[in-house]
This record gives sequence, structure tokens and C-alpha cells, in this order.
Amino acid sequence: MRGGARFALLLGWLLVLAALGLLISQRLVISTDLRSFMPAPTTPDQTLLMEQVGEGPGSRLLLVAIDGLPVEQLAQLSRSLRTSLVNDSQFTQVVNGDFDMGVLDDRLLPYRYLLSPTLDTQALDEDYLSDQLQQRLDDLSSPAGTLLKGLLPRDPTLEVLKLAELWTPVRSPEVRDGVWFSSRHEALMLVQTRAAGFDPEAQGVAIDHLRSAFAALPGSAGAHLTLSGPGYFSVLVNAQTREEADWIGRISTMGFIILLLLAYRSVRSLLLGALPVVSGGLAGIAVMTLAFPQVHGITLAFGFTLLGVAQEYPIRLLSHRRAGESAVESVRGLWPLLLTAIASACIAYLAFYASGVGGLKQLAVFTITGLLAAGLTTRYALPYLLPDTVRDVESTPGLGAFRRWLDNLPRPRWLPIPIALVAVGMLVFAPGPFWQNDLSALTPLPRDLLMTDARLRGELGAPDVRYLLVMQGKTADDVIALSQSVQPRMQALVSSKALDAFELPSTYLPSEAVQRARQAKLPDQATLDAALTAALSGMPFRKDLFAPFVHDVEAARTAPLLTPELFAQSALGQRLAAMLVKRGDHWVGLATLSGVRDPEAISALAPQFGGQLRLLDLKEASESLVAEYRTRILHALLAATALLLVTITLALRSVRRAWHVLAPMTLATFLVLAVERVAGIPLSLFHLVALILAAGLGLHYALFFERDTGDPAEQRRTLHATVVCVVSALLVFGMLGWSSIPVLRAIGLTVSLGVAFHFCLSILMAPHARQD
Amino acid sequence: MRVLDKPLVVSGELSWLGGDRLERRVDLPTKETATIADGQVTQQREGRKPRSFSLERAPQLKVLLDSFVALLGGDPSRLADSFDVTVAHAGSQWTLTLKPRDPRVAKQIASIRVDGAGTEARCMRMEEPDGDVTMDLLGDLATKMPDAPTRDAIAALCGGTP
Repeated sequence: MRGGARFALLLGWLLVLAALGLLISQRLVISTDLRSFMPAPTTPDQTLLMEQVGEGPGSRLLLVAIDGLPVEQLAQLSRSLRTSLVNDSQFTQVVNGDFDMGVLDDRLLPYRYLLSPTLDTQALDEDYLSDQLQQRLDDLSSPAGTLLKGLLPRDPTLEVLKLAELWTPVRSPEVRDGVWFSSRHEALMLVQTRAAGFDPEAQGVAIDHLRSAFAALPGSAGAHLTLSGPGYFSVLVNAQTREEADWIGRISTMGFIILLLLAYRSVRSLLLGALPVVSGGLAGIAVMTLAFPQVHGITLAFGFTLLGVAQEYPIRLLSHRRAGESAVESVRGLWPLLLTAIASACIAYLAFYASGVGGLKQLAVFTITGLLAAGLTTRYALPYLLPDTVRDVESTPGLGAFRRWLDNLPRPRWLPIPIALVAVGMLVFAPGPFWQNDLSALTPLPRDLLMTDARLRGELGAPDVRYLLVMQGKTADDVIALSQSVQPRMQALVSSKALDAFELPSTYLPSEAVQRARQAKLPDQATLDAALTAALSGMPFRKDLFAPFVHDVEAARTAPLLTPELFAQSALGQRLAAMLVKRGDHWVGLATLSGVRDPEAISALAPQFGGQLRLLDLKEASESLVAEYRTRILHALLAATALLLVTITLALRSVRRAWHVLAPMTLATFLVLAVERVAGIPLSLFHLVALILAAGLGLHYALFFERDTGDPAEQRRTLHATVVCVVSALLVFGMLGWSSIPVLRAIGLTVSLGVAFHFCLSILMAPHARQD
Repeated sequence: MRVLDKPLVVSGELSWLGGDRLERRVDLPTKETATIADGQVTQQREGRKPRSFSLERAPQLKVLLDSFVALLGGDPSRLADSFDVTVAHAGSQWTLTLKPRDPRVAKQIASIRVDGAGTEARCMRMEEPDGDVTMDLLGDLATKMPDAPTRDAIAALCGGTP
């Protein structure tokens, strides 16, 4: 190809890439919701789990601890922080043990008579009022006087305080200087975010707000702020993983470039060799943006990992060039084998599509498009751009000797049998559980963070993340009414120590029937006026002082009942909204439980409420979900293996040759499994993905080693290409294997082990060397 | 008090327990004991559960505590830490006026005035910014509390300049 045409081709190629880039920049919407990487739920429990993981009240909770200063200053910081957070729309609830007079905003304040249980046992008559007023009078002369003085005209019976008491978590930590303190002298606080727990981006914003509010407080400089909770973890894991993946990526990319320069001694080949992979990546993302409204961040990360296979295509082409042969001729000789490799990898990745998991479907679309694009550009574009004359890698010093050494290794026919037996033995006798069923292992956290979380949760009496009491009904009010009837039973369970505390939807909003009953007990204005006047006789209170009280009672008596929708406009109503969700044609109420010791005793309540109530064990639901998920992936992989078998057999037109390709690949895969199991590593989704990538790479090694050319120079080129591929894979994934992040380590370790085993077994089980 | 149309009279005993601890025992009209200790105010009323809250929530109590402890303990530097102090003498009679320095406290307490003669403090009055006044007649003077007291009558009893 002449210079001008070559330049035009390169320009055209780059323009296409730029166009793809433009399309992506316009359409790409990255989602960070981890749930799209979880399997579709099938049982009602699993559906609830998926909602809970992301949006439930437990997942929105942030635990805050402040330490590093004397108690009085910490208490002051805690109070000031609370004041600034209460006014921030990012947060729906902020509690620190401080008595809160402003639990209800002005508009909802009259509803205190419908929310507080006072009227259930009391009427607002002369006796009650006179007793209350006498108590207030005593209060005024007492040290609490200034505290209550402002409240007095509007709320002489102190309903607001009763509500504040009712809504303070039952099992709360020690109160010092008016706010919660842990046994380690940290000021404690519970903050509920508006953002869902597993939306790291929105959680990140909320946490930034919290931190800057804290930093803006006078005197916060010497104090230390500790955060915990699911939302904080998701932010942390995201940031840590990204940071570590970035620097590992930078180092291994540099190593990769140096390796390729050493192997081919041509900057031009290196730059051009990168084009197919770049094309694959861009084409993959472009197709994804067209096929899906949102692309998951994990799809991209996994996708680029899996696309690592594509780097083999240009490497094979570069290594297999002979002196005096044009790149186009070289690629024609390689293409049948390369096409087999590409087709097989695509078929293997098709398994992901069949898994039925949103994120994995995307992954399949991305990798298959990417591999096809990379393969086709390697065949039809790259060769026309490569320099005409190259150094034949066949003459690389030491390569011939290495090949001879490999050829002279003993290759007993029976080798697969002991290896298979050892692998099976290791799998059978490996310690620990085979599968990682714990959903939290998908977002692994440093141990000390989990310890801190458990400690703070214990001190704060924060609800367990594991158990939820689920209630359902036709309407929101049915659920609240059910919750009301459950309340005494749960109270009994608390007394019998089955659990420490609970929080029901009806804690925040009584049912309409109860509200109506309380409303009916409120006296009309004339009656109340008369009772008040009688109660006030002989008291020193100003006669017109209680006009706001009379006004509020009248407002409460005539107001429409408080509904969850109306209530939702206040912060507390938001708290209720998180506990009361509409699902399809019915409503579900979620009660949080703390310190559950006897789940059976709580489950035993279920039959008495006609199946409308049950205890949900999120851990159990999540484990069943993960198990089901894995079964689906394994089935898909099984199908893929069968397809692969057929494809390879057809492509090579020989069962015997297909055996020589597939046997080392399969054995090596099982060997990786066996080694990881013996090391006590339970297998997670990440291991499975990494195993599939390693198998894809192994397939290449086996395919090329199996090729019987009878030409020692060509065999040396094959070896050269394979060594470059193996070393680059070990470089990239070996680095990941050293990562401190469990996810990256799982991928790195599995692929590195896989590449090593695949390489060794492909060589030892290659047929022709034995015939030499 | 603005919320009341006549003054509220209570009598009892205020004792300094040493350190930052103060006990206020009320005998009339209702028996009640309030203790301020370790930053915590605890109220005990006959036949009811004890109630307690942080001293931080009642700044006027903190001020009262500070001034009391400083006065009784004879610690002028502690007084000067929290208040602008002015003293007026008229013969053996003296008047000590304390204005809180902390603006947060000043929102609750306008000033504290202690009237005395010789070595004895006779009465203490605390003014809140909304016009409410708390007056304490101390020592012997407490027995001279009129049946229907007025601000002016008590001020006269204290003997200071009104």
C-alpha cells in the first residue's frame, strides 16, 4: 500500500474512532446502582431485599461519632452539627439525644393532639387542665422554667415533649451534657440521608455536606469525625477501588509499553498495535449506549478487563510476521486460527447474556462487540498500516534455546489424569465454604471499618441491618392499623428479651381510626374555653395567655386526618415514608428491629396476623439470591462450554485436535479453582468473571500451540507471541493481585494463576512436540 | 413574669455543695429538690419521676451557678471571666451588677444584681431580656417576704438603690 492510501486509511480509522467517541460522550449515562449487578429477584423476600439494599431505612442511616476533645466541647459540637444538618435538605432525620422541641413544624403542630396518646386515657377537661397548669406553675419556678416558658402558651400540656420522648429511639446511649455519648467518650449521632444507600454518588454529596457542615463549626478543628453506615461504605469502596485501580493501571500500562517496545523494537508498531483494542473498547461502549438507557460503571470496569483478550490479536500479528512478507500476507495465514479464537471467546461471553442479570447482559454486549471490532480491525485495517519490512522476531536471542528446552520437556500422555485427580482432590478436601454467598462480599470492606460499624451500631442501638418486620395491607392505613395491633405483641417480646427494641410505622403515625377517635375526644371551643377558665381560677396565669392553645385544639379537632402524604412534607414524615412503601396494588410497612436475639419468637407472631406479617431475614434472602444467581451463571457457562466444543471441533475439523485445545484449557481452569479453594478462598462472582477471562486467554495459547506447522521458525514465532501475551497478562493482573481491595485481588490472582497454568498445560499437552 | 399576672413566690433553701454543685430545695408551694451537678440538672418532685436535663440547655442556670459559686467561694477572677462586673457603694451598703459576656447567655439573662450590706449578701435579682425578673431574698431577709409581694416592695427590702 502506498504512502498516500495508507495515510488516508489511518485518517479514516481515526475519524471513525473520533465519531464513536463523540457518540459516547453524547449518550453515555453511567449508573452506579450496584443492584443492577445483582440477579433479578424471584421471591417476594428477594424483591424486598433488593429494595431494602438500596432504599430501605437501614441503608440510609449514617452513624456519626465525634471525639478528640473534652466532653463539653464535643457535646457543643454535636448540638451545633445537628442544628446545621436539620436545615439541610440532604438529611431527613438527625438525632443526637438532644431534646427536640421542633419535632413538628408549625403547620403540623396542631396535629400533636392526634399523634400523642394522651387523649386515649385523658380528656381535656377542667380536672386535667387544672392539674397540668399547676404542674406548669411549679415548672416555672423550677430550674426548667426558661426552657418551658416559650412553650407554655401554645402547649400547656406539653404534648410536644411527649412526642419527642415517643420518637426518641427506645434503646439510646448514655446522655452526657444533653447529648448521646459512647462508652469511649465519643459524641454520637444518627443521621438519615434522603439519598438511597447504594447510590454512591448521591451519598457522596450528602457526606460532603455533613463533613463541610462539621468543618464550618467553630472549634471543630481539634475534633475528629468518624462516619459509618452502608451509604458511607459504598462511597468509600467506590473511591478506594477507583484510586487503587488507577495507580495499578498506570504502572502496568508503563510496564506493558516497555515490554512491547523490547519485543518488537518499533514505536510505530506499538502505536498502531493499540488501535484495534481502542476500536474494540469504543465500539463496545457505543453499542451499549445505543442498546441500554444507562451503562453500569462495573460493566465498564469488567468489560475492559475482559477485553484484555483482544490485545492478543495485534500481538499475534506482530509476532508472526516474517522478514520479507507483507503484514497482509501474515494476517491471511493467521486469520483462520484468530477467527476461531474470536468466535470462541464471543460464544463464552454469550453465557453472560443468558444469565438474566442486567449488568451481565450489558457486559456481554460490550465484550462481544469489542472483541469483534478488535478482531476485524486487526484483520482488515491494521495490516495495511504496518511497516513493510520488519525484524523477524524468530531471530530474537534466546528464543530458539527456550523453544528447544520446552520441546525437550517430558510430555507423558497420562499427564492429564494425575493433574485432574489432584485438582479434584484439592476441590474435595479444601477448607471453608466453596462459594461466597455473602452479598456483602461483593462490596468488600476493610475489617476495622466493619468493627467500628458494629461497635457504633451497638452503642447507638441502631437497627440491625439483617432483620426487618414486614407488614402488608391494601392501603397505607391498613398497614398502619396492622402495625398498631402488632405493637403490644412486640412490646411483650422486648420484655421477654427476644429483642432490644423496634420501630413500627405506627410509632410515627397512628391509624385513621385512632386519629378519628382522638379527634372525637377533643372538646369544642366553647367547652374548652369553659374548662380552661374554670381551671385557671385561682392561678396566677394571665387570662388570655392560652389563646394559642385553644386555637390549636380547635384546629386539630376540625383538620382533615393526617395522611402519610401530608406528613411526608416534614422531616419526620420522610422517616415514615421510608418505612411505608407502595408496591403494585398494595402497601408494605417495614419495621426496623434492634438487638434481635430470638428470631424464631418474632417469626412465631406471623400466623396470628393472617400472613400479613412476617420476619424478613435479609441475610438469608440475599444468600438465596446469590446462590440462585450462581446457578444461573453456571448453567450458562455449561451451555457455553458445549457450544465452544462444537465450534472448535467444527473449526479444526477434528475431534482429536479439538481435544488438544480444550483439554488443557479445561484442566487449567479447574486447577485454578482447586488452588484457590485450597488457599481457603471462597469463590465469588469476581472469581467467576476472572476465570472466564483466563479461559479465553488459555484458549488462544492452546489453539496456537496446537497448530502443527512443522516449521521451527514459525514455532518460534508462536512461542514469541505467546510469551509476550503471557508476560503482559502476568504484568497487568499480577499487579492487581497485590491490591489491598478484595475485588481487584480476586481478579488479579485468578487471572495470573490462570494464565500461568494455561501456558504450562498448553505446552505440555501440545501434540506435535511429542511426535518430534 | 410576663406569662403570669402576679409574682410567683417560692421558699426553700439554696445550698452550695462545693465545687460546681448546687442544691435548691423548695418547701413551698410544692416540695421539690433540684440539684445541679456535673453539668446535669436533676429535678425531683414529690410523687413524680425525677427529671434531668443538661445545664447547657438552661444557660440562665449556668450563669446563676457561676455567679453563686464565685460569690460564695470568693473567686473574683471567675466572676470577671463570665461577666462585666460593676460595683456601687453607699455607706455600708453595696450593689454588685453582673452582665454576662457570652452573647448566647445574654439572650436569656440581661443582668444579675446582688445587693448587700457589710459582708452579707441580702438579695439577688436576675433580669431576663423579656422583662421577667427573678428575685431571691437571702438569709434573714427571706422571712420578711410580704404576702403579696410586688417588685418595688422587694426592691425596697433589698435596700439597694432601685
